[in-house]
Amino acid sequence: MSRPASLTRRLTLLFVLVSSVVLMGLGWVLQAAVERHFIEMDRAAIEAQLDVLERLFARAPDEAGIAELEASVEAMFARNPEMNLSAWTDSGKVLLATSEINVPVDEHPLEKGASTGVLTWREGDEPYRGMARRLQPEIDGVGDIVVSAALNIGHHARFMERFNRTLWMFVPIAALLSGLLGWWAVGRGLQPLRTLQRRAARVTATHLDQRLPESRVPRELIALTRELNDMLARLEEAFGRLSAFSSDLAHELRTPVSNLLTQTQVVLSRPRDAESYREVLMSNAEELERLSRMIADMLLLAKADDGLELPSVERVALDEEVAELFDFYDALAEEEGVRLVSEGRARIRGNRLMLRRALSNLLSNALRHARPGGRVGVFIRDREEGVEVTVENEGETIPRDQLPRLFDRFYRGDPARSRDAAAGVGLGLAITRALVRAHRGEIRAESGDGVTRFVVTLPRSARLPAT
Amino acid sequence: MKILTVEDEPKTGDYLRQGLSEAGYTVDLARNGADGLHLALTGDYDLVILDVMLPGVDGWQVLETLRGAGREVPVLFLTARDEVDDRVRGLEAGADDYLVKPFAFAELLARVRTLLRRGHAEPEVTTLRVADLELDLLRHRATRAGQRIDLTAKEFALLELFMRRQGEVLPRSLIASQVWDMNFDSDTNVVEVAVRRLRRKIDDPFEVKLIRTIRGMGYLMEEGASP
Repeated sequence: MSRPASLTRRLTLLFVLVSSVVLMGLGWVLQAAVERHFIEMDRAAIEAQLDVLERLFARAPDEAGIAELEASVEAMFARNPEMNLSAWTDSGKVLLATSEINVPVDEHPLEKGASTGVLTWREGDEPYRGMARRLQPEIDGVGDIVVSAALNIGHHARFMERFNRTLWMFVPIAALLSGLLGWWAVGRGLQPLRTLQRRAARVTATHLDQRLPESRVPRELIALTRELNDMLARLEEAFGRLSAFSSDLAHELRTPVSNLLTQTQVVLSRPRDAESYREVLMSNAEELERLSRMIADMLLLAKADDGLELPSVERVALDEEVAELFDFYDALAEEEGVRLVSEGRARIRGNRLMLRRALSNLLSNALRHARPGGRVGVFIRDREEGVEVTVENEGETIPRDQLPRLFDRFYRGDPARSRDAAAGVGLGLAITRALVRAHRGEIRAESGDGVTRFVVTLPRSARLPAT
Repeated sequence: MKILTVEDEPKTGDYLRQGLSEAGYTVDLARNGADGLHLALTGDYDLVILDVMLPGVDGWQVLETLRGAGREVPVLFLTARDEVDDRVRGLEAGADDYLVKPFAFAELLARVRTLLRRGHAEPEVTTLRVADLELDLLRHRATRAGQRIDLTAKEFALLELFMRRQGEVLPRSLIASQVWDMNFDSDTNVVEVAVRRLRRKIDDPFEVKLIRTIRGMGYLMEEGASP
């Protein structure tokens, strides 16, 4: 795909185009007006001549008088060679002709007392404009007379030609000029964008707190600037999360890795019996297994940050899942003297493995923090707006300010709270939240009066995986 | 049983060869896709363990060519990326199983055994026996040294798994998946607890202990195991 033309070039071209169209339209109107003006002028001149002829013929007494008339007319118009006058009778007898040029009346038969309109024609190379008029002088034996005046308009045509030439030369030059002007104006107009660009260039990974100046941009750019600033805010937040994530990860990995290293090096520092080596290797294997599980969990969470997709969706009976999980945790609960109870039933569309894992994490968390002899309960409520699953345990109350942080990665709360030394790495609840969110659900924690409760709300049908 | 391992990472390749050899298999190791493909096409293997990421000819291509040549040898995929797409693609291309790195060796061994067992239909047994422990699958009854032992359904399933796979180290994740269908790592010690309870019933009252804990790997049932 090719890059769209630059804004400056686009706007400049538009300028040129628009001004060309406007100038050409203007030129056309101007030309038409001048043309019309000439026609009017010519008509007035021609009509004046015809009026003169009419008056002359009206005064002529007879045929002989007409011949006299011819001489005087010729004399009269000798100084105006552009005007050609003639007169003839219906029988075709020419009474008067100052030149060979005649108005082509034949094509326009004349009613009595009428005159033709302004006619334009060419004779030889010269253009002419003229009119004819039928007169009815009361001269015996003559009858109607047609008088005509034809004006050579060659000088008008030549003027129009020059006029047009000038006009059409002016249009491209003017268009070019307006293009230049447009280019300059666009350059000025885009100045705020350049300001934005300079500010944007200052935003780097280490300076994500930079924002674009919303107050100093033109109104048209405010929305864009605001969007960009919002985007920067989102980026800053995501970036902060990411760097917190990596530093958490490094921190969490450092302790076990350093343990492994020290232990291994100490054992290697002098010869020992096979049993000691076995002991260290076994302990290393346990530690490494934990690390490997942590890495897998971290990968899952990293993927969840980009939005986890459900690999497949099916109908899941939550009560059946809970029953199977109880089966799994039964022995553990009994060992710890905790009672498992469940209530309610609901079906939703979702990914079975992910839902089971989410519930499993909540259950194991509840079991870990349950008061010995206490109760862990799972309550499913099928509601209008979706399904609500509550996993609760009797145990110590968690301070209110710690509740939202329970879902943070590696958050373990008060270390003393956990009775199980081999407990997870503190990713369980973060993973649960990611899995619930992948189902477009939400999870929250409540704690009070010796009961801690995790409430999961799930829509009845999770979105289908993107194809 | 002959296994071909195609793995370019030197350490992984070496320990796979050593581990599988010590588990009693004959192992050939190819360090790149082209060699692996050549060996797989010319040799007669019972199983191919194939790394996806290989220089030159990658795991996908090896598998494709192999299946294109009509070789039905079971293939276990090793992949460093736990992407659903990869998994689906691998299984569609004709892989029989996959394992995401890093994996526990015991897990790999368990999967290798499962794949090798496939196609070699086990004789239909109704009674499993390890030392003086007997499991009657039809009547759902366990006895040791003639004494009847009461087991819950899950305990029975756990014991059956141990007895069917006697002599094999069973990692916790495999036990959770086979007995409870929990196909993810739980951060609890549920399996330990369950095994402890089973032991209480079938091992504690008796002189000879049958279930052994292999620290860092899992559990093992064998005759005359020490605690």
